[in-house]
Amino acid sequence: MSRVQLDHIAKAYGNGPRVIRDVNLDIQDKEFVVLVGPSGCGKSTLLRMIAGLEAITDGTLLIGDRRVNDVPPNERDIAMVFQNYALYPHMTVYENMAFGLKLRNMPKTEIKDRVTAAARLLEIENLLDRKPKDMSGGQRQRVAIGRAIVRNPQVFLFDEPLSNLDAKLRGQMRIELQKLHRDLQATMIYVTHDQIEAMTLGNRIVVLRNGDVQQFDTPITLYNQPVNRFVAGFIGTPPMNFLPGRLSGTGPLQFQSDQGAVTLDLSQSVHAPALASFRGHAVTLGIRAEHMSPVPVPGRSMPELTVQADAVEHTGNEALTYFHLDDQRFVARLPADLPLTFGQSFRLFWELDKCHFFDAETELAIR
Amino acid sequence: MSTFLRYFLLILAAASFVYPFVWMLSASLSSESELGNLTLWPVGFTWANYVTVFSKIPLGRAFVNSVLVAVITTGLVLISGAMTGYALARLQFRGRNLIFYLIIFTMTLPFQITLIPNYITMVKLGWVDTYFALIVPFMLNSLSILLFRQAFMSLPQALIDAARLDGCGELRIIFQILFPNILPTVLTITILTFMGLWNEALWPLIVIRDEPTMTMPQLVTLFSVGGRADGQLTVKITAAVMLAIPIIILYLFFQRHFIRSMASSGLKD
Ligand SMILES: Nc1ncnc2c1ncn2[C@@H]1O[C@H](COP(=O)(O)OP(=O)(O)O)[C@@H](O)[C@H]1O
Ligand SMILES: [Mg+2]
Repeated sequence: MSRVQLDHIAKAYGNGPRVIRDVNLDIQDKEFVVLVGPSGCGKSTLLRMIAGLEAITDGTLLIGDRRVNDVPPNERDIAMVFQNYALYPHMTVYENMAFGLKLRNMPKTEIKDRVTAAARLLEIENLLDRKPKDMSGGQRQRVAIGRAIVRNPQVFLFDEPLSNLDAKLRGQMRIELQKLHRDLQATMIYVTHDQIEAMTLGNRIVVLRNGDVQQFDTPITLYNQPVNRFVAGFIGTPPMNFLPGRLSGTGPLQFQSDQGAVTLDLSQSVHAPALASFRGHAVTLGIRAEHMSPVPVPGRSMPELTVQADAVEHTGNEALTYFHLDDQRFVARLPADLPLTFGQSFRLFWELDKCHFFDAETELAIR
Repeated sequence: MSTFLRYFLLILAAASFVYPFVWMLSASLSSESELGNLTLWPVGFTWANYVTVFSKIPLGRAFVNSVLVAVITTGLVLISGAMTGYALARLQFRGRNLIFYLIIFTMTLPFQITLIPNYITMVKLGWVDTYFALIVPFMLNSLSILLFRQAFMSLPQALIDAARLDGCGELRIIFQILFPNILPTVLTITILTFMGLWNEALWPLIVIRDEPTMTMPQLVTLFSVGGRADGQLTVKITAAVMLAIPIIILYLFFQRHFIRSMASSGLKD
């Protein structure tokens, strides 16, 4: 019912360049989709086009099988929650939530029922008579979400709704948003620059870069099979480590880093078939911090390297250990009980099959 | 010591402003023959001057005219200024900045330059001796446009977006969503416009010759300068008092805002 389809969507502001180029997305009914990407990549622009707040330069937008390119925002059956809440400062919480319904000439009793129900769901019943300025950021964001809920829309749009909250509240609200999604059974499109938010909330994630979709898939697929170096570096904390190098042209299949710090024999690895056609080419190796360990896992192919710790960050449950290979900064996620300190040399075992390889020229993953 | 000096100077300044006014009020309550002895309090206390003024000129009618013209025009200035200011601040269209600079430019033109062309326009439209001549030329004003534009630019875009999603059209966005959030600006514009209109004597003198359509400043000016006060100073002064009283009453109500209006019309950005 509330499927959202973007078909060759593009956007240019005025006579400027295209900030959204050719976006094709098919968002399913009741799906929670997160748009993620660095600041300025076009997330808000894309969301505002779906909302009807920005004109669509090119392409077709369907909401629930209806073409809505030229439908005004209030007739698109959507609701939107903004980063800075955008509550009407001169109205009480009740009036804020009721305002849109009043404009639709809904009967007073029904407005009251809807506002009360939403307030109960969000536990803000005691705030209904307050003005926005008399509430905390978290409370305001609840009201903003309430204002969206009362409209009972097909599609909810969120533009970085948690960015103005402190870290603790953000974690709490993430869980509540998941619950809200289950309770309301609505399609949700959620914009954030925070990949943790994206990973924890999204059924599927759209990774955007400079107005282009890089990958649209489940969190676990983005993590395990990033399509290119950008997605690989963007998803996951700490970010994936990269090492530029080259594959051997002849002889056994080997990866050699540019400055020689690392040489890996790949002939027995799972990557060997895919890499075969890149022999002699420049490639970039990628490995995540959690795929290096101080002891080998029996039965897995785990090459060994000796490195020197530049810095160690203890978080209690783990130790993020920094070191250099060639001139690239690396970080490994090691057990907290490892007695490592600055300057110390130690052995690291790499899970070779968890490594990624990217064509140095196109940055695409080699699979 | 410096506090003492500061207060001394302030009191001196206040006195120099208040004294003429008190003198004027007292004179209006004094008898003409004893005016020479007037220092601060009325001499030979009498209401006679007020009786004379009211019997000689239709001050009541002029008061109603003044209120009507000032209220209607101020209302129109608020509406037109808000709409223009909103468009200049918030809508995207070709030539937006050019229009804005043109509006600013009109502020540099002295009133005297536009006086004659405006008068000719009024004659051609057949508006001489009508309320239109008093209202229409003042219903759009560049200062109010400028102040509204600045105020609208200071509000977050999301407020407007939220209103659009709720189903507001542009007019409802301006007057129901944004207006309540820029009340200090609205009040500033109201006070400045109302006072300007209330005190305007020159323009009505030019376009109105018909006594029932005259506003107070015009009538009072004609009365004082023309022969009808019979050369009686106290009567002229009484007419001036009548002109000042409404503004003074307004001032007492909105004192705080008056001061802020005057301070902020210095056009800070
Ligand atoms: N109203 C606008 N006019 C012109 N350019 C804009 C406007 N809004 C955004 N942009 C540009 O479009 C690009 C994408 O912006 P935006 O969608 O806000 O990115 P994000 O939300 O991902 O940070 C940026 O380069 C930005 O400068
Ligand atoms: Mg944004």
